[in-house]
Amino acid sequence: MSSTDDEALPGVPNVGRSDLDAMVDAETTDPREELAEVEADTDLGIEMAEDAKRVAHGELSGDEYWAKHDAAAAAEFGDAYRETPNPAVDASDQTVSAAAAESMQCTVGSMDAVAAESARTDEDGGIGAGDEKWGMVIDLQKCVGCDSCTVACKAENRTPSGVSYNVVMEEEHGEFPNTTRTNVPKPCMQCENPPCVQVCPVSATYKMDDGVVNIDYDRCIGCRYCMIACPYGARYFDFGENYDDEVDEAGEITSPEYGVDRGKREDGKSPIGNVRKCSFCTHRLERGEEPACVETCIGDARNMGDLDDPDSEVAAMADSNRAFQLKEDEGTDPNVYYLE
Amino acid sequence: MATESTLFEFEFDPGFRSSRLRIAWYGFIGVLLAGGAVAVYIRLTNGMRSTNLTSIVPWGSWVAFYIYFVGLSAGAFLVSTMANVFEVEGMHRIDRDALFAAIISMVVALLFVWIDLGRMDRMYFPFIWRQLTSALSWEVHAYVAYIGILVTELYFSMRIDLARIAERASGLRETFYAALTLGRDDTSEASRAFDQRWLKRAGIVGIPLAIFTVHGGTGVLFAVSKARPYWNSGLFPVIFVISALLSGTALVMMIYVLRTRLFDGESVDPDLLDRLAQLLIGFIIVDAALTAIEAFIPIASLHPHEIETWQVIMFGPMSWSFWWFMIGLSWVFPMVLLSKQSWRRTPSVMVLAGLSVVVGIIAVRFNIVIPAQILPVIEGLPHGSYFPTLVEWGSSIGIMAVGLLLYTLGAETLPLTPLGGDHE
Repeated sequence: MSSTDDEALPGVPNVGRSDLDAMVDAETTDPREELAEVEADTDLGIEMAEDAKRVAHGELSGDEYWAKHDAAAAAEFGDAYRETPNPAVDASDQTVSAAAAESMQCTVGSMDAVAAESARTDEDGGIGAGDEKWGMVIDLQKCVGCDSCTVACKAENRTPSGVSYNVVMEEEHGEFPNTTRTNVPKPCMQCENPPCVQVCPVSATYKMDDGVVNIDYDRCIGCRYCMIACPYGARYFDFGENYDDEVDEAGEITSPEYGVDRGKREDGKSPIGNVRKCSFCTHRLERGEEPACVETCIGDARNMGDLDDPDSEVAAMADSNRAFQLKEDEGTDPNVYYLE
Repeated sequence: MATESTLFEFEFDPGFRSSRLRIAWYGFIGVLLAGGAVAVYIRLTNGMRSTNLTSIVPWGSWVAFYIYFVGLSAGAFLVSTMANVFEVEGMHRIDRDALFAAIISMVVALLFVWIDLGRMDRMYFPFIWRQLTSALSWEVHAYVAYIGILVTELYFSMRIDLARIAERASGLRETFYAALTLGRDDTSEASRAFDQRWLKRAGIVGIPLAIFTVHGGTGVLFAVSKARPYWNSGLFPVIFVISALLSGTALVMMIYVLRTRLFDGESVDPDLLDRLAQLLIGFIIVDAALTAIEAFIPIASLHPHEIETWQVIMFGPMSWSFWWFMIGLSWVFPMVLLSKQSWRRTPSVMVLAGLSVVVGIIAVRFNIVIPAQILPVIEGLPHGSYFPTLVEWGSSIGIMAVGLLLYTLGAETLPLTPLGGDHE
């Protein structure tokens, strides 16, 4: 589109390209000023950045770049540099030759290897072996009933049609015009005394040290007794439905629930034919992240934390006189609390 | 005594009297099997999508048929113990019939459990991993032990006749019957007494196994579900056992008449028939009374969840199964047929009464499994609704046809009627 277009559409600001470029310049920080704020050598930073632009323009090769800067970077950053994963190794879009990558001083290995290493939890007792007792507190006064927790949960856990680890129960009380509406978001309660665990004939569902109730998809036989036993309707059977009609290749990626990456979703392969439920996003908790529903909640109604830690926010909230659990008389003692 | 076995007179020609009836019967089973095979194929390739089950109603017709056949088996077995443990006069005639029907019913029950699993390939997992607090985990083991007891009993009940047949037969037939005796080919009175003793012992072990673990336990499996108030009662497993006795007695009565008429070509013993019929009356009364108590307690306690469940049963969209099948076919109609002594001694009327109960109890089982899942466990969740798909009906009929086939093959080859008027 021409920058001197006189017939600007109503409501669309009439700005030319030079105006836009000027805006970019105005927003761009001065590199020298920026780098001065960190301890590292400012001149080296500027020089490496300028050369990186040249690599991007094709004026300089990746190999030449690292031959020029590797030693200086190693000298400047020391161990921190040497322990950094080398993004150029094993990557499909490698910008340096194998020989050059090999000669570099960051020796810790490829990005993939480092990621795999940090995801391994065997050394600290496996998934769910943490000292925390994970608990969730949902403030019903803050919940607006937008269902974004349900949507975030579906996106995060990539649950198929018919499976929804989180639902928002909506109830209207009273008669028009004097009605009130209550929204009760409902994930798995991760009960202290879970009836589902009690009835599983093969011990495929069990309580982990961190309080989360796990389902071993490799052991579950799909008898659905746990669904009968759950007083909260938190469990769903995976009938093998999918969103292929709505989204192309919907089953190409699955969520690494309970820390297990199962690859593509395929018929006859677990978790199809198994019972599924909310795991408090165990795979996220292990990475130090909050469950997707907590992170996404627009009213900040959902809180996640360690109920065993008396200083934690959730422990304080679960102790407040507004706190209650669903179906307290069932004796299940949920680790999901609500604030009324 | 040593020559007694050679003096023993008997005729052994099991199977249909009429070969036209045989062809018609196997043809009928064949049609059912073919239809069932198509349904099972769809079930296997499409998975659980081929059912009308949902996450709200996760248990449906296959579970209902599973508990139905466990009940049929436990009932038939308990009828057999009247002959071999309690030695009720004149009952020996139906001992093997009852045991064999009990075995076939268990096989059918386990096929229903199997097809109901989300992962059918993992059906052996309960024998590798267990859960002490799970009723289902215990049940699976109880079923295996129970089938073991049934087979043991049938063996001790039938062995001497198998040995007698093997003695007279030759060639392949001899090998077949000799193999079934497991090498114990003695036909002396001493060996007979030995068999009787062990038959009784196995029966004594089997009675508590059948009552408390196999069928009572199946009732416990439901009753422990605190989340489902309709099942969560102490009376529930007791009703399970009583309705099992009801259906089992009806089945044995039916089989006795049909097999005597169509296979043995003999006349039915009216005294035995009357005795079975009176048993049936007793079981109908107890079953109806206990069910009434079971319904009355929660309704009188004004327990909202249970009252609503009973409303679903009595006035809901499936209430026809309650009124016509459960009340009508399993209680009222057979009770009318059993009310007159001359009818109780008429084989055709008793076959009708037996058939009515056997069909009616199916509705009892459906009305146990489904209604408890219709009301949501928490207010705010959707209500459930369920009616089996054609695949579920078809596969169920196919599985039952497998049972009919196995039963017929057994009845055509095994000495299910004690030989030579050896009725004791």
